[in-house]
Amino acid sequence: MEKISVIIDGKVFEAEKDTCVLEVARRNGIYIPSLCYHGEVPSSGGSCRVCLVEAHQGGRMRLVTACNYPVRQGLEVKTDTPLVQRIRRGILELLLARVPNSEVIREMAAKEGVTEARFRKDEGESERYKCIACGLCTHVCAEVVGVHAIAMVGRGADKKPATPYDKPSDVCIGCGACAYACPTGAIQLKEKDGIRRIWHKDFEMVRCSVCGVPYIPKAQVDWIVKRTGKDRSFFDRCPDHR
Amino acid sequence: MGTINSIEELDRYRQKLAAAVKPNLPTVLVCFGTGCQANGSRLVAEAFTEVIKEQGLQVNVNLGIKTTGCHGFCENGPLVVLRPQDILYLKVKPEDVPEIVEESVKGGRIVQRLVYQDKVTGEQVAHYNEIPFYKHQLRIALRHIGTIDPTSIDDYILAGGYAGLAKALTMRPEDIITEVERSGLRGRGGAGFPTGTKWRSCAAVQSDVRYVMCNGDEGDPGAFMDRSIMEGDPHAVIEGMIIGAYAVGSHQGYIYVRDEYPLAVRNLSIAIEAAREKGLLGKNILGSGFSFDIKIIRGGGAFVCGESSALMRSVEGNVGEPRAKYIRSVERGLYNKPTVLNNVETWANVPEIILKGADWYASMGTEGSKGTKVFSLVGKVNNTGLVEVPMGISIRELVENIGGGIQGGKKFKAVQTGGPSGGCIPERLADLPIDFDSLTKAGSMMGSGGIIVMDEDTCMVDVAKYFTGFLVEESCGKCTPCRDGLPRMLDLLTDITEGRGTEEHLAMLEELCDLLTWGALCGLGTSAANPVLSTIRYFRDEYEAHIKDKKCPAGVCKALITYSIDPEACTGCRLCAKNCPQTCITGERKKPHVIDVSRCIRCGVCKDVCPYDAVRVS
Ligand SMILES: Cc1cc2nc3c(=O)[nH]c(=O)nc-3n(C[C@H](O)[C@H](O)[C@H](O)COP(=O)(O)O)c2cc1C
Ligand code: SF4
Ligand code: SF4
Ligand code: SF4
Ligand code: SF4
Ligand code: FES
Ligand code: FES
Repeated sequence: MEKISVIIDGKVFEAEKDTCVLEVARRNGIYIPSLCYHGEVPSSGGSCRVCLVEAHQGGRMRLVTACNYPVRQGLEVKTDTPLVQRIRRGILELLLARVPNSEVIREMAAKEGVTEARFRKDEGESERYKCIACGLCTHVCAEVVGVHAIAMVGRGADKKPATPYDKPSDVCIGCGACAYACPTGAIQLKEKDGIRRIWHKDFEMVRCSVCGVPYIPKAQVDWIVKRTGKDRSFFDRCPDHR
Repeated sequence: MGTINSIEELDRYRQKLAAAVKPNLPTVLVCFGTGCQANGSRLVAEAFTEVIKEQGLQVNVNLGIKTTGCHGFCENGPLVVLRPQDILYLKVKPEDVPEIVEESVKGGRIVQRLVYQDKVTGEQVAHYNEIPFYKHQLRIALRHIGTIDPTSIDDYILAGGYAGLAKALTMRPEDIITEVERSGLRGRGGAGFPTGTKWRSCAAVQSDVRYVMCNGDEGDPGAFMDRSIMEGDPHAVIEGMIIGAYAVGSHQGYIYVRDEYPLAVRNLSIAIEAAREKGLLGKNILGSGFSFDIKIIRGGGAFVCGESSALMRSVEGNVGEPRAKYIRSVERGLYNKPTVLNNVETWANVPEIILKGADWYASMGTEGSKGTKVFSLVGKVNNTGLVEVPMGISIRELVENIGGGIQGGKKFKAVQTGGPSGGCIPERLADLPIDFDSLTKAGSMMGSGGIIVMDEDTCMVDVAKYFTGFLVEESCGKCTPCRDGLPRMLDLLTDITEGRGTEEHLAMLEELCDLLTWGALCGLGTSAANPVLSTIRYFRDEYEAHIKDKKCPAGVCKALITYSIDPEACTGCRLCAKNCPQTCITGERKKPHVIDVSRCIRCGVCKDVCPYDAVRVS
């Protein structure tokens, strides 16, 4: 891979061409907030806009999302200018007004000095719970798990991740990857008496034959067995007792 | 006749068609655009066929009764044009047909009651090109519309069609690109990007496959220029695309047509099929060895699907949602291949530019915006419709000369240009030339060419609220500033129009505008602040009247107006009292009446019905 050098906040860093600005910044200990991006998920990012930074290139300045802007030779990035701060605070204020219950958003906003949203209370707020409609869960399900159980539906402020018609999905395997990846913990995953409930559907859990802890949905085991041909007995024990 | 195998054969074919035309024989052109068909033009055409058959009239055999595309003057439809005299009849009904045939076709006289009448002067004008609506137009993109039958490839070829392609095929691809660059043509779909530059970037990218695409999504409410072209002159778009494909080295093209445009889809499909049969599309075009074909894709429905990255995702079969364009689509577009996407009107200009040359095209328009632009002129003007004018014409010329002035002699207040995310320009700037750069500098934009004329009865805060409301509905919801910022903006505007506004509201509106402009992902969001910003910029006093004095100067915002009856003017006719849904108007017959303001719901019925103009709004 071609190596290039890029300037971030006045310091020069080496990086592989076309890596995103956010990765380069992170590896070098520079903080840029992010919510909707996950390094393992190809089409994640670009939606929440909290990672906007100034990109100076070819005599031109633009605000770009650090999570998907490719670094090229000659690029200079500024992550903390008055413009970046102003826009970042604005985005976080909007998110705070949208999901005032989210600790993650409260914390991130507080870090930028935003503690209160000045807007009128949002009517759809309670229904949205903590979801900022970033789409990461749907990308994880499709691109990491390889199942397409959920998708972003609707548009505008009502856009949300959902199973088809908000009914239990035929293809969801209950793996919970979406819930783990969600930046704000907006996906409810509950477990009780060996049953996991997620996306309106109950999943029977397989218990570890050693410790007896229910640790994986049976549907997920079926799916892995079918996809990879792995021996079913492999899942008799949880990872700690294999 | 089968395929045309060379440029010479195309010329011979055109000559043959021309020889078959009998000049000076009467021809009846009936408009078959969507507007006129909705008003019954099909029945008018049938009536002509019948009368002519009955009377055995000798009408131009080759053309006969011809059904054409939209003339842009749809509010007066169905339109009928008689040739060779070029008489235009408006609002023609089947019953009028015998008289037209008797008087005009046979007798050469004009049926006065069917001709255009100027709403201000009352003057009657019978000849097409003398009607103010057409007199000031310069038609290049619309060059054939209304004169040819869009379903007949022969008609197009006879009018000089495919001569641009024939010429292009004798040129080197890079010379075509240079020609388009030198013409100064800029994209007509909104952003005004130089077309030649786009083609050159695409051609420069190493790739085995390239695509050319036509954006026929036309989502702006009230706009119908692209529809008119696709319906009325589909071959112009196809010819433009073949030339573009040859220039950049593409063998497959796509036309993305808005789903609500069935007639456009039909006429384009007929045209593509006919072009294939003639060897103008498909393998080995005109024997040149160059192959290219076109597929039609029907649109996904949402306004945002017209945005280039969303459009490409939609063609690929994914959800039509915008994506970051840090890598341009000329490098990685449709299916990640280098792609040229141009608007319908942009493509329709290309054959003429190649045929007549860059210098010819660049001789029209302004320094930075060459050629002509099609506008859909609507709102409070006397003549509304589609018009094509040279770039650089002033707003005032458009409103007064072509539009025939403001309806009902009211005062001209502002124009809104550029579609829902355009801006408002006040009357005092009406001498501004209409071109890409002037409009942008004035805080609005060219957009796809929508122009809405507003009179003194328009409230500018209400206008900003209306467009913001549209954008709230159309936001795809992918990015935070647009999805969550626009509804907040709408809240603030609603507060102001309902009398709850404060200075803080104005400041917050401006903050949200800044956030959208810098922070949104796609053009919908980054331009969504225009309606609010431009009205604050030019009509701040109106915002302040709503906020400080709790008054709507234009008398539009219901919460801020009161109705009263002027005792001097009121004759006590009781008409208002009888019509008031709240029965809150009292008074004795022949004595001045009074409105009980506490119960009045400000419906305006009393004002509408009062024959003495005694109801006042303040
Ligand atoms: C929200 C949005 C909607 C758009 N809708 C259209 C459309 O309906 N038709 C169109 O030609 N361009 C539309 N555009 C512009 C296209 O993205 C693109 O710039 C254009 O098709 C390029 O062609 P041109 O260079 O010939 O104008 C839209 C842009 C945005 C941001
Ligand atoms: S739990 Fe269901 S929806 Fe979530 S990632 Fe797994 S399969 Fe997809
Ligand atoms: S549930 Fe979480 S990951 Fe999914 S869209 Fe909402 S905030 Fe994003
Ligand atoms: S700006 Fe609006 S329309 Fe464009 S991607 Fe963002 S939410 Fe969607
Ligand atoms: S505005 Fe309507 S409700 Fe009010 S007085 Fe007139 S008619 Fe009655
Ligand atoms: S993290 Fe970059 S846009 Fe969300
Ligand atoms: S449809 Fe006939 S003039 Fe527009």
